[in-house]
Amino acid sequence: MSGLINQHRRTQLIELMTARAWDSLLLYGNGWRKDYFRCLVNVNFSGPHAAARLSRSGELIVAVADPWDYELVSAAIDERVIFQPDFASALEPASAIAGIELMEARFLNGAVSATAEVEELRRIKTADELEYLKKAAELADRGYQRLADAIEPGMKEYALVAEVEAFLKANGAEDNFMLIATGGPEVTGMRPPTDRVMRKGDSVTTELTPQVNGYYAQICRTLVLGDPSPQQRQAFSIFSEAQQAAQDLIRPGVNVRDAARVQNDVFRKHGYGEYTGSRYTRVRGHCLGLYPDETPHILEDSDYQIKEGMVLIAHPNTYLPLSGYMVLGDTLLVTAAGNISLNHTKKELFVK
Amino acid sequence: MKRGLIAWDKAELPPAVFEARLDAVRKSLAERELPAAVVYSDVFRSNQARFLINFMPYWNRSLLVIPREGAPVLLCALSARVYPWIRSVSAIEDIRPAGALVPALLQLCAERHWKRIGVLDLPRLPEEISRADVEMVDVPVPLAADDAEFAMRRRTASLARQILTEELPNGAGKQDYEFAGRLERALRRAGAEDLVILLSAGRTSPRPAEGATLAEYYSAAIALEYRGHWAKVTRARTSGHSLRDHFEATLKKGTGGYVENLSGPYPAEGWDRSRLAPGSIFVLHVESRIRGHRLFYGDTCVGTELL
Repeated sequence: MSGLINQHRRTQLIELMTARAWDSLLLYGNGWRKDYFRCLVNVNFSGPHAAARLSRSGELIVAVADPWDYELVSAAIDERVIFQPDFASALEPASAIAGIELMEARFLNGAVSATAEVEELRRIKTADELEYLKKAAELADRGYQRLADAIEPGMKEYALVAEVEAFLKANGAEDNFMLIATGGPEVTGMRPPTDRVMRKGDSVTTELTPQVNGYYAQICRTLVLGDPSPQQRQAFSIFSEAQQAAQDLIRPGVNVRDAARVQNDVFRKHGYGEYTGSRYTRVRGHCLGLYPDETPHILEDSDYQIKEGMVLIAHPNTYLPLSGYMVLGDTLLVTAAGNISLNHTKKELFVK
Repeated sequence: MKRGLIAWDKAELPPAVFEARLDAVRKSLAERELPAAVVYSDVFRSNQARFLINFMPYWNRSLLVIPREGAPVLLCALSARVYPWIRSVSAIEDIRPAGALVPALLQLCAERHWKRIGVLDLPRLPEEISRADVEMVDVPVPLAADDAEFAMRRRTASLARQILTEELPNGAGKQDYEFAGRLERALRRAGAEDLVILLSAGRTSPRPAEGATLAEYYSAAIALEYRGHWAKVTRARTSGHSLRDHFEATLKKGTGGYVENLSGPYPAEGWDRSRLAPGSIFVLHVESRIRGHRLFYGDTCVGTELL
């Protein structure tokens, strides 16, 4: 039962509270951002809110806003659980709150933000967390294989996503962050699927991020329907070189801005430096865990030293005029010696 | 994340619907002598901005700003690269990048010389935004369901009922994960934009799939978002027993069961039925015990009627 409480994190949080002289710490989650809550109480609630209130003495109280969540959480943990449909009345004041920025203002009572401190603790994964991330990465590999098997010209984008989603859920995914784009040089970015019918010659870009036991791992791949054009092959070789440059560099002590710079330098070397900016791309990677887009983001204007035990993805995803938007990336575990990829899907331009 | 089909069929939901809704907001602003209203929106809390401009953020968050005079502005944390796509599925033209929402809001206020603005549901605004250095007043933005809203919600509920009824027998003997996958495929192929599937093998209330085997008696609860409109439907496989009578009696009685409000900012939110505003769309769930199994039935309603 208590396995759903992250005991290592509980100890870390109490140490943090002691260091900051906080008597109590609230970890808040809502339907979008469950991660602050689940970093201590790893239960997948379905209602609009949940919070875990930890005292410096170690006492833990969980509050939920949905009766079915109450039953789920009560059965899952040996701690006090409170159910209040009007969530505000369930919350005792706390010294600090992780996730406070997302909370409805009516819930608040003078607490300070613990969001940054808790996010820093979460960046280094525990052994259990790494096992979940490995399972998620393995499911991402299988999910991408399912996509490659199912896709065919004439299929609508959203029907393809339905197939992938069905596969992931049938194989234990709680959730999935997935973006897609299909087409040619006119495609400038990914988004949810449309009813566009895929055609021979299309590039199909996918960012697939299944969630297992709360933890997201990601894979980014590009597939061409039919024979790839010389431009598609040329573009992929640039993306491959850029992604590998980051993967070769990432190790403890490296700054994330350098992990971004080495990717962007490859584009600059090939004459495509202008496509490394925010007009054409978002980030060159990000951390992974209980949220699919954890910070720090891998950007040339970020400043953060990579640490052993972090899990992140380096992906040079951007638009190029050669063949439109393209993606490539693996989930990487930072080790003492460098990093290892948790994905096992070939880093190639897929062809169907 | 919303990763199903996000689409806007203008024959189904004409732009005039949104123009009328925005006009009602402007009228409310004029009555209060406020220059603009702000509506918060994120991937989980998208009902209100969707009602006003058909904007459904697949991810991240935004502020919809509706000036008393002139076109609405969307301060959007999503990348500018997806703005053409947003414009294609939403009734909004003026979209501005806003990686940080508060500075973007303050900049807009400065540009327009606004010192005091209205905010929909100010007490429920996320804390970070509520601290913006501009005077904010709670403003009752009119969001009552109109004919178009009822029609879309009815269509969503009908889709959920149809597919759940068709698929429900297929869960018997399967692991809940496998049945959840089957439901995902059917609902997403039918155009589901977002989905939450909860299952019960007869011993618990519905919950996310967890590896349980579904036998003779089980329940499935579906929250379905279709073109931005949420509905919830729960059905039980009961080997011939019906829970519908219990549900209908509870619905007519006006009390009892578990009620979630579907007309608020969230997809669903536990609610006291006696406190629902007139015309609110809600889901009523009831529980029955049959041969020792806990079984659930629920549906999307308004007043004392099924929607």
